[in-house]
Amino acid sequence: MNSLKVSDIYKNFGDEAQPIEVLRGVSFEMAQGESLAITGPSGSGKSTLLHLIGALERPSSGQIEINGEDPFGLPEPQLARFRNQGVGFVFQDHHLLPQYSVTENVLIPTMAFKNRNGEAEKRARELLERVGLSHRLSHRPAELSGGERQRVAVARALINQPSLILCDEPTGNLDRSTADGISSLLFELHQAEQNILIVVTHSLELASRFERRFELEAGRCAEV
Amino acid sequence: MRRSLSYFWRIQLAVLLGAAVATAVLTGALLVGDSVRGSLRDLTLDRLGRIDYALVSERFFREELSTDLSRKLEGDAQFPRETVPAILLNGAAVNPKSKARASRVQIQGIDERFTGLWEGASSQFTPFLEKQPGQLFPSVHINQSLQNELDIEVGEQLLLSFERHSDIHREFLLGHRDSSDVLQTLRLTVTKILPDRGIGSFGLRPNQSRPLNAYVPLSVLQKVLGNGRVNAIFASATSPNLSDLTTTDALPVLQSKLRQALKLEDLGLMLRHVSSDSIRGVGYLSLESTQFLLKPDIIEAARAVAIERRTLFLPVLTYLANTIAANERTIPYSTITGLDTQRAFSLELIDGSAAPPLAAGEILLNEWAATDLGAEVGDEINVSYYIVGPREKLLTRGARFRLKGVVAIEGLAADQGLTPKFPGIHEADDMSEWNAPFPIDLNRIRPKDEIYWDLFRATPKAFVSDRTAQQLWRSRFGDLTAIQIRAVMGADLQTTQTNFQRRLLEKIRPEQVGLVFQPVKADGLAAATGSTDFSSLFIGFSLFLIVSAALLVGLLFRLGVEQRSSEVGVLLATGYSISTVRRRFMKEGGLIAGIGGLFGLGGGVVYAWLLMAGLRTWWLAAVGTPFLSLYINPLSLVLGYLIAFVVVLFSIGWTVRQLGKVPIPALIAGESGAGGLSNRSSGGSTRRRILAFASLGVALALTILAFVSETTASAGLFFGSGVLLLIAGLAFFSIWLRSGGRAASQPRVAVTAQMGIKNSGRHPGRSMLCAALVGCACFVIVAVGANRHIERKHEADPQKESGTGGFALVAESDIPLHHDLNSREGQFELGFSESDSDTTADTQIFPFRLLPGEDASCLNLYRPQKPRILGASQDFIERGGFQFQGTTATKENPWELLEDELEPGVIPVIGDYNSAQWILHLGLGDELSIQGELGEELKLRLVGVLQRSIFQSELLISEANFKKYFPSQSGYAYFLIQRPSTPNPAAFSESVEHIGHTLERTLDDYGLDVRSTTEKLASYRAVENTYLSTFQTLGGLGLLLGTLGLGIVLLRNVIERSGELATLRAFGFRRATLSLMLLAENGFLLLIGILIGTVSALIAVIPHLTTPGAQVPWFSLVMTLVSVFLVGIAASGIAVYFSLRRPLLPALKHEA
Repeated sequence: MNSLKVSDIYKNFGDEAQPIEVLRGVSFEMAQGESLAITGPSGSGKSTLLHLIGALERPSSGQIEINGEDPFGLPEPQLARFRNQGVGFVFQDHHLLPQYSVTENVLIPTMAFKNRNGEAEKRARELLERVGLSHRLSHRPAELSGGERQRVAVARALINQPSLILCDEPTGNLDRSTADGISSLLFELHQAEQNILIVVTHSLELASRFERRFELEAGRCAEV
Repeated sequence: MRRSLSYFWRIQLAVLLGAAVATAVLTGALLVGDSVRGSLRDLTLDRLGRIDYALVSERFFREELSTDLSRKLEGDAQFPRETVPAILLNGAAVNPKSKARASRVQIQGIDERFTGLWEGASSQFTPFLEKQPGQLFPSVHINQSLQNELDIEVGEQLLLSFERHSDIHREFLLGHRDSSDVLQTLRLTVTKILPDRGIGSFGLRPNQSRPLNAYVPLSVLQKVLGNGRVNAIFASATSPNLSDLTTTDALPVLQSKLRQALKLEDLGLMLRHVSSDSIRGVGYLSLESTQFLLKPDIIEAARAVAIERRTLFLPVLTYLANTIAANERTIPYSTITGLDTQRAFSLELIDGSAAPPLAAGEILLNEWAATDLGAEVGDEINVSYYIVGPREKLLTRGARFRLKGVVAIEGLAADQGLTPKFPGIHEADDMSEWNAPFPIDLNRIRPKDEIYWDLFRATPKAFVSDRTAQQLWRSRFGDLTAIQIRAVMGADLQTTQTNFQRRLLEKIRPEQVGLVFQPVKADGLAAATGSTDFSSLFIGFSLFLIVSAALLVGLLFRLGVEQRSSEVGVLLATGYSISTVRRRFMKEGGLIAGIGGLFGLGGGVVYAWLLMAGLRTWWLAAVGTPFLSLYINPLSLVLGYLIAFVVVLFSIGWTVRQLGKVPIPALIAGESGAGGLSNRSSGGSTRRRILAFASLGVALALTILAFVSETTASAGLFFGSGVLLLIAGLAFFSIWLRSGGRAASQPRVAVTAQMGIKNSGRHPGRSMLCAALVGCACFVIVAVGANRHIERKHEADPQKESGTGGFALVAESDIPLHHDLNSREGQFELGFSESDSDTTADTQIFPFRLLPGEDASCLNLYRPQKPRILGASQDFIERGGFQFQGTTATKENPWELLEDELEPGVIPVIGDYNSAQWILHLGLGDELSIQGELGEELKLRLVGVLQRSIFQSELLISEANFKKYFPSQSGYAYFLIQRPSTPNPAAFSESVEHIGHTLERTLDDYGLDVRSTTEKLASYRAVENTYLSTFQTLGGLGLLLGTLGLGIVLLRNVIERSGELATLRAFGFRRATLSLMLLAENGFLLLIGILIGTVSALIAVIPHLTTPGAQVPWFSLVMTLVSVFLVGIAASGIAVYFSLRRPLLPALKHEA
């Protein structure tokens, strides 16, 4: 069973004499198949929280458990493997590699630990079919529209079947119609994969479609 | 601007350092040129002391001429006043204890006046070369270089051998050629070793290598030479201003004063007063030469004076006949005089009538001869005599006459003075005691001949017309033996003599008899500018360093600009024009380049110092002297600074120009360049394909053509093929890069490496730039490095059409040889034993005449003004050989071009291509002006150039021209030795060495030095190889600096791709994996560049690799290439380390 437990997380930046507290005691839990939207004003710490959950950054204090395991207790190589296998990211900027084809971009996470094989390529093609890009397999990012690029990014996030999908403003750079399409795709895949989905967004409309929604303000979190 | 500079100080500092490196390298290279020139100039001033002009003559003259000249010069304050006489000889030295020998020794006969020409030198000669108590032999001081050669100490004995002076040309019939007459050996005690500087380094010939000097008291040499004369005068200017010496204004004055100071004996002339009593007739003056024959110039001058003074004069040519025969009777060894009997005074027939005019083929006998032969008027008289043939062989010639009359032995016919006095003959009491240089059959001398000798000595026994005598016996040594001059009407003979002598001296220019002052200091300083411009040379060698530094500056500056792309975008968005923004950056760049350049000046001095240290040690073979010092010319500093500033500014300008190509929104978003893969045009791709396939096709065609071609063009074809392959290789790589590197994603390669290789296609232009830079640099370094050539000691089968011409050995003697080394007789005369002659039995030796001069090869750093000249014999010309690079006209045997008749004063010459092109700066058909030995201008026209030959130190002319234009030179001093080839290389090598040793041992008094031709070629190659090493080293350094540029390119890539890298990190890629991926990307570009460049270069130099003796320095080449790769990877590693240390997360989010 997939699960996420965030316990009393604090995150400070700056020096110790004058620390800037970005997160102040954030706690929540999520179970398999749940989805969560995190909203809040700019600078409230939404992206930072997402990076902490994704083990990209360490909390100043507090604990995060994913599937009952504290990733920050792992040494660097295992932490990287943990992130590779357990977490899928979708960023506001798709950050696709321009020199790779669409399929290759999706397969990139599988290359980190040489787990690329025929199965991975098959799943990549399936995912791309599911995101509606089966006709663009060998195209390069520069030849795709913004929405299509983000759909590739979504497929890339899912390639290793992670238990946790973290999206940072996934529709922030898209027009409304395209944004709707991407959010629908996210929900659809979330339902199908039954992972935990957390999305940081400014869009209350998008947030309203999630099962749960947290509002972050001045580093504190409140479930709406 | 100040804030920008301080805020971005790190990158600005890097740009500043790049500018400093560019300035340092450029300035340093210029300083190397200054230093070489400065050092050569110092060596010139050091070796000449206060000597500004030197007169060194083949003939000896009065020592007092120097004093007389000095007196004549006293009135001219601005011109040289101090003159010093000396004897200068070349010879060999032997340490009798160790048997160590040295050739090319300069022997100076000097007195205290000579030492005064150097500051402080007198103290080195105190007491002046005097014998110490108990010292058996005269003193000699030697310099350090000679001591090193001989391994001799103070107090030990030294043998000097040199040529004994002879007034009479050795090749003339009466010239002495025997070893005992030619060679003089002097045993001396070494009393001091002089350091190799100042007076110890004295030498008139500009060459950077230290001469081997021996200083002997002038009086000792004069005594040994037996003439009390000197052959050199040195003149010192009173003006300390050296710039005055660069002009030759003083030279005409000096020559004019010399003319005034000359006496007839200085010209080798005598005006003998023959009284009327001694000949029982009218007295007269006889103008004669110590050289036995009067030269045409002198004859013309005497004739002019005689006409001017209205005196009667009679040209006389007396020659020696081996036999006068008639009626089957013969008279041995008689003199015959040619004169105009119509103008002869008191030449009467036995009947008292005046001697009749003689036509061609008519002869008069004196009464004694006619009686002896029983000859009557109308009888046929046969005369046989010697002439000197090729290679100084005596040939017997004959002439047939009809007896026109018999003269009484009275008056002129009884004048013993008609035959000039000849040492060894005229003082002999009996004919059988003649010490003649030609073979005499004493058995032929009869008692009656001895009686004639007792009565009449060398009085002529026959007379022919002056025209007939000229036709038979005139030679390059002169036309007449005497000119008889009668007293002017109304004046006595004494007055006539005084006036005639005065006018004759006024008529003869000193140059006509080879007395010519040379502005040795001005010439030396001019030559010190060097034949090779070391500034240009080292700029060339350092070109990679300079270009790399400039590229580095551009890349670093661009990195700085890219860091500030948002700033640029905002400035543009807020209304700044692109030109304003560019100017802003240019100002910053200019300021940084300016400051960096100032630091670079200091670096330039250090770089030049390092290069000079390299030239004194590691690259010594390129310059041949360790006496090189660093000279800092402020002008070079300014020039280097300005040029480097412009280069760096251009590089920055090129970077800044790119700013306008990026859209403003992209700049604001922090993008700095066009995103790689979307901008591909199919047109460009087609062009690249056409270029790649066309280059490959032509390269293959050229390779095939080169393989089937037997001509010298194959080298060019291979080189062309290599260059085209380089282009094709780079074009294919470009195509591959632009295709996204699809073929690379094969499972055989590790995933990380695959990703790295594929990433290289992200910015094809940038990747291509890196690969092309490395590829081109490797091409040049490998192609140049592979061109090294190391000669084998002896070629077992020397090729005639090669640089050695098929000769195994080359020899040179200090003292010219006058006997044929190929004949047993000649060898016997030269002191060969039977076994020595057997050793050289199947050896063929080609002798050359040698006019001493300056080394015209790359071994001489000075610019030669008067190169050494060899006179090639007819045999050698007919033999041919050597490989010609080019000729002015096509001939089956190009050596025959030497025999072409050109305009008067123009001599066809053949030289080595390298020397002609790079040292003398002459092309085919060009002319080099030199001064003839009589002061006239001669033009040497280059009619052929040889390819990499042993003749790099000299120019060749035909022996006929040599004898014509340099008549005072005698003998052969340069030899090429040919051995029959043998299939056994070891036996060949052994026999060649044996012959070399035999020749050196037998002819060591002549200072014969024998070397293998391949060794001689190798000495020239050593310079070339050292230059190649220098280029390789500095080119390698440049390449290493260039690879730092790769690191910067990588840094740019990483910065641009920080979002991607962060994404990869987010997906679980570790830093180590990302580092490997980035290193693989750069390593791939490096490897591709190295591979394409190296393979193309090796194909380009196939002809060289396949030539015998080619020895490619594989180790150093591979090490250079490995260093390039490792430094490239290290630079990339540093870039990766610093770029991945930066937090990547900010690239993933747009809020903190």
